[in-house]
Amino acid sequence: MDQINLKETKAISYEKAEIKKGYTDQSLRINLDAADIIINPIEEQIKNKFIGGKGYDLWLMWNAVSGDTKWDDPENAICISSGPLGGTPGYPGGGKSIVTSISPLTGAPIDSNVGGYFGPYKKFAGFDVIQIDGKAKQDTVIFIDGIENTIQIFEAENLPTDSYELSDVLTHHFDQDKPVNVSVVTAGPGAEHTFFGCLNFSWWDAGRKMVRYKQAGRGGIGTVFADKKVKAIVARYGAISMKANNPADFDALKLVTKTHAKEINELDPKQNRMALVGTTHLVPIMNDHDCLPVHNFKYGSHPESKVIGEEVYEHIFDKGFDGCWRGCAVACAHGVKDFSPFTGPYRGKKVFVDGPEYETVAGCGSNLGIFDAQTILEINFYCDAYGLDTISVGTSLGFVMECFENNLITLDNTGGMDLSFGSRFNALEIIHQMARGEGFGAIVGKGIRQMKKIFAKDFGADAAFMQDIGMESKGLEFSEYITKESLAQQGGYGLALKGPQHDEAWLIFLDMVHNFMPTFEDKAEALHWFPMFRTWFGLCGLCKLPWNDIVPEDNKNTPEPAKVAKHLGWYADFFSAVTGRKSGPDDLIAMSEGVYNFQRVFNLKMGYGTREHDTVPYRAVGPVTVEEYESRQKRYDEQLKEKYNLDISSMSSRDKVAALRQKREEQYEQLKNAVYERRGWTQNGIPTVATVKRLGIDFPEVMEVLKKNGVE
Amino acid sequence: MGLNNFLIEVDEKQVQWSENMTIASLLETLDNVEFCSVVRLNGKLVSSPKFTETIIMDNSKIQLLPLVAGG
Ligand code: SF4
Repeated sequence: MDQINLKETKAISYEKAEIKKGYTDQSLRINLDAADIIINPIEEQIKNKFIGGKGYDLWLMWNAVSGDTKWDDPENAICISSGPLGGTPGYPGGGKSIVTSISPLTGAPIDSNVGGYFGPYKKFAGFDVIQIDGKAKQDTVIFIDGIENTIQIFEAENLPTDSYELSDVLTHHFDQDKPVNVSVVTAGPGAEHTFFGCLNFSWWDAGRKMVRYKQAGRGGIGTVFADKKVKAIVARYGAISMKANNPADFDALKLVTKTHAKEINELDPKQNRMALVGTTHLVPIMNDHDCLPVHNFKYGSHPESKVIGEEVYEHIFDKGFDGCWRGCAVACAHGVKDFSPFTGPYRGKKVFVDGPEYETVAGCGSNLGIFDAQTILEINFYCDAYGLDTISVGTSLGFVMECFENNLITLDNTGGMDLSFGSRFNALEIIHQMARGEGFGAIVGKGIRQMKKIFAKDFGADAAFMQDIGMESKGLEFSEYITKESLAQQGGYGLALKGPQHDEAWLIFLDMVHNFMPTFEDKAEALHWFPMFRTWFGLCGLCKLPWNDIVPEDNKNTPEPAKVAKHLGWYADFFSAVTGRKSGPDDLIAMSEGVYNFQRVFNLKMGYGTREHDTVPYRAVGPVTVEEYESRQKRYDEQLKEKYNLDISSMSSRDKVAALRQKREEQYEQLKNAVYERRGWTQNGIPTVATVKRLGIDFPEVMEVLKKNGVE
Repeated sequence: MGLNNFLIEVDEKQVQWSENMTIASLLETLDNVEFCSVVRLNGKLVSSPKFTETIIMDNSKIQLLPLVAGG
C-alpha cells in the first residue's frame, strides 16, 4: 500500500568520512531555499571547545542566526547531533540525539535530548551534526543513506499526515527488507498548528516487528520543522558494532560497557524496576511527597493517583525489550499494544502507544484531574501522532482548566466546551482541535505565555492572577513537579537556560526531603554542579537515566550519594576509551561549563539571558490562593511562626498568603544572587569577561554580545 | 519460640523482626540510610511521609530504594 509519491529534486553522492575516536569531523548542511547539500569539516578548535552533541548544535546555530532571527525566519536552523560516545551499542543510554532550534515559545535556543536510532545512524553515515535551514516550497523528505553514501532531497506527495503512520510508511519505503536500518524523524499536523510541536525519532523494534518512536518534545522544534515544510528526515545505516565509533581503546570500552550494563541488569530489579515500569514508579512517590502536580500545580497529591501509577501501568505495558537504544539495559521505553482509542481518527482501531512516561501521566493526568489510565494513554497516543509535546499540552491545559473554573474564560470562549478539571472528552477534543488548527484548541496551542495575553485582551481575564498561575517561565511550560517546598528546585527550573525543564537539575528530594543544602551557598553549589554534569550527557550523545536512576549498592556510603561517584568514574573511562582524551570526572564538568556559558550568552544574543528572564510564576514558589494556603495550613503557619518569627495570631488567611509570598519571593531573589555568584556571572545574570576567558569561549562575537550588554 | 524465628529481609539480608516495627523504627537501626526516602515493602512502594505509620509484618521483604533522582 505504498502509494506515496517522492520526486527527487536534488541528490549527491559523497565519500563517507572515516570515523575516528567517535568523530567524523564533518557536518552536513541542507539549505532548503536553494536545495543545497553542503558538507563541511569541523575544525579541531571547535571540537575541543564544544565536544559534540549540543555543543556542536549550538555552535552551528550561533553562526546561522542573528540576534533578530525569529523562529519562523528562514535562517533559523534545526540542528541534530549525536556525540562522540553516541552509537555505542550495549552501553546503557548510549544512543541519544540532541536537537536544537530557536524556539517558537521562547525566542531563544531550545534543546531536546531524544532516543531512537537517528543520531547514531546519521553519524555513522558520515556526519557528527546536521543543520537544516531555509524553507522548502513543497513538502519535503530528506534521505541520508549511509549504506549507498548518497543524500537525496525529495518533493513529497500523498504522505500520511500523522507521525504514527508516516514513520511506518517511510521506514518500509526506504528499506523494505531491513527496516532496522532506518530511522525517521517526523512531526505531524499538531506541529503545524501549534507552537509546541515535537519531533518523533523512530527505531525498528525487532522483537515486535514494528516502528517505535521517542519524542524530542520541548520547545516547539517540531513546529519549526513543519514551518520549513519538512515532512521527514530519514537516515539509513547497516550493522553497528562496538567498533563502529573506532574507539581509541577498544578493550577499555568493552570493559566499561560490560561493567555498567551488568550492574543495571543486577540492580534495576531490586531498585526502581524501570525495565518493567519505566518512570511510572515516580507517580506514587511524588504523590506521597506532595510533589505530583494536581489541578494546575495547585496541589501535590490526590487519593485517586493510585490508579495512574506503576501498579496499573505495570500490567498494561506490553512485555518485551524496550530499549530506545540498541542493547540499553535500562530498557524503560515501554508501550501498550492493541490500544483502541475512543475518539479521533483512530477511533475503534488498534494502535500501539509509545508510553506513557511519568511526565505524560502527571501532566495529562493528575494535573488535569484526569485519573484514568486509558484516557492518559489516548492523550499520549494522539499527542505523539500529531507531533505535540505532552508536557506543554498538559501544563497548558491545566492552566486553561483553572482559568475556566475561575470564570476567567467561559463557555463562550471555549466553543461551548466545559473545561473543568477532569473533563476527559473535552481535553481530548482540544487536542484534536490543535491538530486541525481549529477552534479554541488553536488558541491553547499557542502556549501559556500567549494565552495569558489573549485571555486578558480578548476575554478581559485578570492578568495578574494568570501571571501567578500560568506555569511557564521564559515562555516554556513547566515540566511536572511541584516545587513549592524546594527553593533549590525553584532555581532548578527558573535558572535553567532553556526554560523550566528538569533536565538541568532535579534537586527536590535532596533539598526538601533530606535538607542536604540548607544555605543559599549550598543550593548555589548544587545549581552549579548538577546543570554542568547533566549538560555533559547532551554533549556526548547519551541518556542521563543510567547515571542516577540505578545506582551501585554501596553508593549510600559515599559522601555525596546524589553524584553517584562510581558512575562518574565510569563515564570518564567511557569518554577516555572512545575519544582517547584521558579524562577524569572533573574534566567532564569543565567540558560542560564552556558550552553551558556559551548557551547563556546565546540567550543574551537573542535578547534574553538576564536576571529578569529567570523569574518563575508564584504558583511554583508558594500558595497563590487562600484555598491553596488552607489546604496546607499547618505547614505554612508553622513556617511563618518558626522560620520567619511572625506573630500570626490576628492574621487572616489572606494576610498570611501575602506575608508568606513576600518572604518566599525574597528568598528566590537571594538564591539568584548566590547562583550567579557561583557561576561567575554578574548580578544581572551575565557571564563575566573573566568567566568566558577562563572557559576559553572568549570569541570576538561572544565579547561583542557581552559588551553590548554592558559587560566589559 | 526463639528470636530467630522472627525475621525480615532487608536488601537481601536477614534482620530481626519485632512487634510493632515500623519502617521508621527499622531505619533507625541501619547505617547510612539518611537518603532513603522510599522503600519497597513486599513489592509495594512506601514513601517517607508514611514511614512512621507503616507497620512491618513478620517475614516481610524490604528493599531500600536509592535517592530519588527525578525524571
Ligand atoms: S535509559 Fe530508557 S530512555 Fe534512556 S536510552 Fe535506555 S531505554 Fe532509552
